[in-house]
Amino acid sequence: MILFALVYAAPIVTVLYTSLCNYTTFSAPVFQGIKNFVTIFSDQDFIVSIRNTLVWVVLQSTFHVGLGLAMALVLRRKPIGWKFVRTAYMIPNIVPTAATGVMFTLLLNPSFGIVKPFLEAFGIEVGQVPNLFGNSRYAFWTVTATWIFYSGFNTIIFLAEMGAVDKEIYEAARVDGAKPWQLDRYITLPLMKNIFGTCVTLASVAMVSQFDIIYMTTKGGPGNSTLNLPIYLYKAATLENNYGKANAVGVVQISIGLLLVLLVQRIFMEKKEA
Amino acid sequence: MKETSKAVTAAAKTAKYLFMIVFVLVSVGPIAWAFISSFKTYAEINSSALSWPSGFRLDNYEAAFRYAPIAQYFLNSVVIVGCSVLVTVALVAMCSYIISRFDFKLKTVIVLLISASLMLPAQAISQPLFAIFQKLGIFDTKLGMVIVYSAMGIPMSFFVMTSYYKTISMALEESAYIDGATFLQTFWHIILPLAKPGLVTIALLQFINTWNEFYFALMLTSGNRARTVPIALNYYMGTFANNYSALFAAVVMTVLPTIFVFILLQRQVMESLTAGAVKG
Repeated sequence: MILFALVYAAPIVTVLYTSLCNYTTFSAPVFQGIKNFVTIFSDQDFIVSIRNTLVWVVLQSTFHVGLGLAMALVLRRKPIGWKFVRTAYMIPNIVPTAATGVMFTLLLNPSFGIVKPFLEAFGIEVGQVPNLFGNSRYAFWTVTATWIFYSGFNTIIFLAEMGAVDKEIYEAARVDGAKPWQLDRYITLPLMKNIFGTCVTLASVAMVSQFDIIYMTTKGGPGNSTLNLPIYLYKAATLENNYGKANAVGVVQISIGLLLVLLVQRIFMEKKEA
Repeated sequence: MKETSKAVTAAAKTAKYLFMIVFVLVSVGPIAWAFISSFKTYAEINSSALSWPSGFRLDNYEAAFRYAPIAQYFLNSVVIVGCSVLVTVALVAMCSYIISRFDFKLKTVIVLLISASLMLPAQAISQPLFAIFQKLGIFDTKLGMVIVYSAMGIPMSFFVMTSYYKTISMALEESAYIDGATFLQTFWHIILPLAKPGLVTIALLQFINTWNEFYFALMLTSGNRARTVPIALNYYMGTFANNYSALFAAVVMTVLPTIFVFILLQRQVMESLTAGAVKG
């Protein structure tokens, strides 16, 4: 029995062990203290990537999760076609994210994408069609737009949780003359607090390690406008071959992830007590 | 009074459907657009974004196959994903069972380690993994990818499965033991058949996550031997940045299998994902 546990635990321990290796593989086995950390924290790009990561975490845990909740509230009453909508809304969440990245690159391509006909349809005259991924003025928001609307995953989590709410509570409230929106406001939403916390945790963790789409679309550019921690780490590891630096970024990334999880949990714990 | 409230309800209803329609369009639109465009000729793609293709042509798909060994990548993906699903399910089926049924010294430590690894950002550990894999000689091999993916899939599957085992009544096993069954017999003949729905859940979860995985596939492979489908896209983006028509076909080919699996097994997939999220 213990053998089973060991065989199974082995890969995990390996993975965890490697993460601890971060501390020992500082810049090709030679120990040099916190020099890597000094390097990265004095790098403007690194500061920008932390900022971008955090902005994305905040956007994702508010707007994105909120959108999922809104959709779940709409679908909860099972309007016509709700199953179709649920499925369709879920699709962007199950296709490979790398593919999403490519798709948006094509979709928003200035010469043959939909940006040009879209602008023309609204009668907006521009001399040159903006390159949404290639212009540092738009890139951050364009990249954000490739994931922030796709909250189908959260929607099904919320729907599952809403399905678990006792029907009698609604019945009782309805007998007392509560209007539909009141049911949602005073019964459904308060009961969603816990699961909302779960969704926010998942969204934050996902954003701290968001890589695929950025890599496929902008690779952190133009300049450093869409740089985040994973991309910064990847660049340090592969382009600069500076493993010590990459692992230092990794340690920062892990810390930020942990802090966020603890923070989110604290916020939602307190709310539960109140 | 009644008139206005009726108008309000109607407006709310319209808003609701508008909301639904807009998000369906936003979700499926890009995929549909890529799908339609994948049948256009290069000239057609360039001349107008919103026109229909002049015919049902498969030239782009042919080109996609010709430019990159996408068939090979597909095969790699199938082998790697298949193996990692098997490994994960087999290991988790046994270990979750032990953890959910027995108390032993290291149990808390193991559970703690597993939950900690759930929160670990993948990139943070990628460089050490890269180094270890090179030392072990499994860098850029299918075996290496299977190991990473299985290890990555275990934490979430573990929690889903442990809570699933807890729903199976102990009484069944006790009566099996009384009838003289050994531990392994009980596990094999009684528990596993009962746990099938749970196993399906984790298998699907593992399939979706692994099929779509991009980062480790990018970091831990260098040749065509072990590259998976999402990496094929990267390859196209880099090498044939100007051959957009083939790119359309490539995207469609990567996206369609997952969508098919999803639509066929919709209910189970959604259950898997919810279970993974809530229990993990």
